[in-house]
Amino acid sequence: MKGRYEDENLKWIALLILLVLLVPFLLQGMTYSYRYYLYVLNIAGIYMILTVGLDLLSGYTGQVSLGHAGFLAIGAYSSAILVDQAGIPFGLSLILASLITGVFGLMIGFPALRISGMYLGLTTMGFGFIVRRIIIALRDWTEGSAGLAVSKPQLFGFTFNNDLHNYYLIYTFVILAVILARRIVKSKLGRAFQAIRDSGHAAQAAGINLSKYKLISFFISAIFAGLAGALFAHTMRFISTDHFDILLSIYFIIMVLVGGTSSIYGAVLGTLFIVSLDYLIVPQFKDWLSTFMSLEAGDIQSLIFGLIMFLFIIFQPTGLYGMWIKMRIYWKLFPFNPKKRFT
Amino acid sequence: MADLVIQNISVYFSGVVALDDVSLTVPSGSIYSLVGANGSGKTTFFNCVNGFVKPRRGNIFFNDSNLLDRSPHEIIHAGISRTFQNLENIPYMTVLENVLLGNHTRISAGGTFQRWVSRKQREKEESDGLKMLSFLGLANYEQKYLTGQPYAIQKLVEIARALVCRPQLIMIDEPAAGMNDQESMEMAKIITEIRDELGITVLLVEHDMNLVMSVSDRICVLDSGRVLAEGTPDEIKTHPEVVKAFIGEGADA
Repeated sequence: MKGRYEDENLKWIALLILLVLLVPFLLQGMTYSYRYYLYVLNIAGIYMILTVGLDLLSGYTGQVSLGHAGFLAIGAYSSAILVDQAGIPFGLSLILASLITGVFGLMIGFPALRISGMYLGLTTMGFGFIVRRIIIALRDWTEGSAGLAVSKPQLFGFTFNNDLHNYYLIYTFVILAVILARRIVKSKLGRAFQAIRDSGHAAQAAGINLSKYKLISFFISAIFAGLAGALFAHTMRFISTDHFDILLSIYFIIMVLVGGTSSIYGAVLGTLFIVSLDYLIVPQFKDWLSTFMSLEAGDIQSLIFGLIMFLFIIFQPTGLYGMWIKMRIYWKLFPFNPKKRFT
Repeated sequence: MADLVIQNISVYFSGVVALDDVSLTVPSGSIYSLVGANGSGKTTFFNCVNGFVKPRRGNIFFNDSNLLDRSPHEIIHAGISRTFQNLENIPYMTVLENVLLGNHTRISAGGTFQRWVSRKQREKEESDGLKMLSFLGLANYEQKYLTGQPYAIQKLVEIARALVCRPQLIMIDEPAAGMNDQESMEMAKIITEIRDELGITVLLVEHDMNLVMSVSDRICVLDSGRVLAEGTPDEIKTHPEVVKAFIGEGADA
């Protein structure tokens, strides 16, 4: 009986939460540029909320989405407009922006009932383009491609002034999102999602209405993306359509793949990995590489991310989370494991 | 409990006659077998009952309701569940989760939310699946991932998934395909137990004639989509048409 609940062992969750709370202080003690690290962690946290939702949709339900930057944009712009132009408090606008994005998710879900695989990927990608064009066209509210300045987040009279405050705001939602997603995955809903991905016939024979659950999956995924978008708008303080281009949607897919599809922790790990690579490690090599290659700023990212995705798909299809599981098994059996099992 | 009544169903796949005017009645509380050569329409018959294939003509009645009015995912509400010939399991879920998938319609949304906070609710939900696993002798497999399990285990998991929602009728598609003699014997025992202990009518498709003859109450022989013969195992064994089709003419001459 004990083992079956191991995955929700409260001791570990409490330890992880404590670690998340302490990270800013550890960083402060370790490095002078800790503000930049906090900023990077904040971006990673926002993307984590989104990729956890994307994993529910693409990893668990098997519906490819290349339009999640579009959902992020909808969440960001609707929250920005609700707070700054309609005067709705930030707490309420978080919920409303998520729901608005959820409704757009449902709208994209309807064509998904008929198409699958690569065609669904292309359709959602088209959605991403459309969202950008519409945001530019709604110039009166969004100030077009010039971008929109957004107010600071305020909750219960407290204003989140700096990156440290934002860090706690964002990671509260990351923890909630991870717990919620884990609960969804381990419940009736998660089983239905996985049944849709792996065997539509078995799902139908078990009484699962495929259309209904696909729509639910799109809805939930878009809600996560909308929440991430609302947090993005208010913590970054400035949004423009350039923040939500198609490449970002592809990066989200890479984050899920590198972390390991169909594992919530994998999505978190993958996001942390790719974002820190993007903001911390790639810039270190940029100057060095450009001495013997003529590269534009964006090229090197695409090059490295493409390479990473390529290598992961071939050599480590279960992603970072799969690596962690294998490591755990390795140490559990430590002296008694033949070396070839660790591959 | 009710009989499954099939009246004159015909199915054509672009000119191929899959089922031709098939009528039969599966009495409640019996083990009813469909046998026939490959392509004789056995699985198509299952798919008709299950709603995956809509017959061109005919009716299927169960519990006084016409199953043809229902979508595939509503068939289970009528009390009919099924397994598949080629395994249709979810490889990256545990055995227990695979079984609980079959209980989907019996877990309410409210129960799901309660389950998030209370371990008692969760154990209640899982106890159905665990009971079914121990009934089929899989008690130790609950936590294992389905991928990599032996074929016989996967087949049993599929049966457990179909049984866990307590249907009135279960359709089992080739349970003993690819199994050795001992495993087939165990499967025969399980099929009898499903009927005797759980009180579930069994509709069976199987090629292993030893198994079919030993467990069935009635047998229907299909040939090229038509009913060739129908009756008790003893009647079928000596039925001239069946002997002609399966053993050949003049076998005893």
